[in-house]
Amino acid sequence: MSLFGMLLNWLRSKTGLLAGLFFLGLLGLVGANVFIRPHEVEFVYDAYPGFWAVFGLVGGLAMVIIMKKIVQPMISRGDDYYDRNN
Amino acid sequence: MIATTSGFIHPTVGFYALALALPFLPGKAWKWLLLLPPLVAIWSVMTIEPGMYGQASWLGQTLLLGRVDKLSLIFAQVFAVMSLIGMVYALHVDDKLQHIMACVYVGGAFGCTFAGDFLTLFIFWEFMSIGSTFLIWLARNERSTKAGFRYFLYHTIGGLFLLIGLLMRYKAVGNFTFDHVMPTQMMPYDWMILLGFCVNAAVVPLHAWLPDAYPEGTVTGSVFMCAFTTKTAVYVLLRGFHGVEVLAIAGTVMCVYGVLYACIENNARRILSYHIVSQVGYMVAGIGIGTAMTMNGAVAHAYAHILYKGLLFMGTGCLLYAAGTTKLDKLGGLVHRLPWVMALYMVAALSISGMPLFNGFISKTMTITGAAEAHRTWLAICMEIAAVGTFLSVGIKLPYFAFWAKPANNTMELKPIPVNMYVGMAMGAVLCIAQGLYPDMLYRYLPFEMEHMYHPWTVWHVLQALLLLGFSGLAFYITRDIITPHAKTNLDFDFFYRLIGRGVLALVSKPLAWIDDRWTEAYRVAGLGGLLTLARGTVWFDTKGIDTVVDGSAYTVQNVGVLGAKVQSGRLQEYLGLAAALALGIFALVWYLA
Repeated sequence: MSLFGMLLNWLRSKTGLLAGLFFLGLLGLVGANVFIRPHEVEFVYDAYPGFWAVFGLVGGLAMVIIMKKIVQPMISRGDDYYDRNN
Repeated sequence: MIATTSGFIHPTVGFYALALALPFLPGKAWKWLLLLPPLVAIWSVMTIEPGMYGQASWLGQTLLLGRVDKLSLIFAQVFAVMSLIGMVYALHVDDKLQHIMACVYVGGAFGCTFAGDFLTLFIFWEFMSIGSTFLIWLARNERSTKAGFRYFLYHTIGGLFLLIGLLMRYKAVGNFTFDHVMPTQMMPYDWMILLGFCVNAAVVPLHAWLPDAYPEGTVTGSVFMCAFTTKTAVYVLLRGFHGVEVLAIAGTVMCVYGVLYACIENNARRILSYHIVSQVGYMVAGIGIGTAMTMNGAVAHAYAHILYKGLLFMGTGCLLYAAGTTKLDKLGGLVHRLPWVMALYMVAALSISGMPLFNGFISKTMTITGAAEAHRTWLAICMEIAAVGTFLSVGIKLPYFAFWAKPANNTMELKPIPVNMYVGMAMGAVLCIAQGLYPDMLYRYLPFEMEHMYHPWTVWHVLQALLLLGFSGLAFYITRDIITPHAKTNLDFDFFYRLIGRGVLALVSKPLAWIDDRWTEAYRVAGLGGLLTLARGTVWFDTKGIDTVVDGSAYTVQNVGVLGAKVQSGRLQEYLGLAAALALGIFALVWYLA
């Protein structure tokens, strides 16, 4: 295993620490958004701090839940569906 | 006729010359020649001055092979760069046919880019179709064979739309000139041409050929294919049909549609294929909106996309090469064994996500900002939603389940990855980062004049991107057990294409076969019987008619001859008697008639 590979493997064991840093980073970004606003408002609501944070979070959650829980059960078939039916 | 006296070496020349020469080159040293056409192409597009080059006559038509302007040059430039990266990545491949077909394909893309008329465009368009079909077939397995046939059939239909359109147009206007069509003056033939272009641009619902075929291509072939087909279509749409409203809507639909499907896919190369549909959607939408900023955004995004998408396919190609699969449910826990593949892949993944420091950040945001400035708010919002989905699928899901998820996998057998594949990926990664850091590397070549220059590197743009992507990442963290890929086939519009195919097959094998059977029976009973009767009649006519007349004449001549012979007895008194009888007969006839 290369040195780089070992470093990445070590990181795998520190997921708790990395997650904590990630959440802190997100908090920092929202805090920065209180002071840093768009030069020009493009979508009305993006004038409010945290708009893009909510957009990303809600958009991501909705996409995953709707597609995996509602849409995929309706449109998915067996992995070899076309192999069997052609 | 392609290379001109004015010094423009058409990049196609190098690729086609190599394709023709490769079968005859012995040994292994020929591999280094693979780098020559891309290097010539880079030199050519970086040194040529705009103008019209290389006219040729064919079938009574004048073909313009070298329309060189800012628009064609920037596409040709990124094609040349990508062809070099692709060739480096493919250097280890011994199968000459793969390289030949890559040359046919890439040469075709340059031909389309510099084509000044529809006929030239169509010819090279079809070369691309043939070359890319072989890049699928040459994976040499049952799935790729079937996928290649479907791909070729579909592109043949797309090519026919284009051909019908350009012939109808020729009939109407009398030439094959390929220029911009005013959106308010679109004629039926223009729509037909647009339809042909939309097939190659993978516009929903004409897109399903792409996620069907690209995952089945060869490891190196898919790297070429992901770069050239859809982007050539973007180029021709931009040149011919910018400002057509339907493209703005269709492009935005593509943006969202692609990410939704990618969200539920299991095969890494299929995920990336759906993201081609999505990313090309930004370009098509920018073309449809038609302002200078959105069109420049489309061009910039095409440039950036070719680099990072090539890198993404190179990364997943390494997985396929080493592990023998790109199905995420079969991968995982490989990060310590393929650390550089993961790192280089991540450069592309962050680029496509529009993360600051990477080239997607300077190209994608230009299109979205342009859409918002053009007061196309809903289109811009949908593009932002697509950006969220892109980071979820390509930025996190794919690398997480391929490299990180599951405990460290030390048992899976991995084939060593050739150095040239790493070098090709590193070249792509360096360019993705360099363009992200120095946007002017790309912006200086943009073809359309803007009222004010777009500046991506503002504090707000950076913060907005980090907020959007950071909280998309949080959404993944929360739903990581839900988004886990499953080995499923997700039905897409290709289900309907196949249905049409089966319908045609059923029509041929059932109703048409029934009609054929009935016709055969009717022919046997009525047709054959009629023919026999006719034959009998002919025999009777021959015997009684022809033979009677011909044979009768012969017998008459023979009898007259016999009679003549009898009359000529040699006795004078018989001659005198006969002459007197004849004279008497003639006299009686004359007397009677008079």
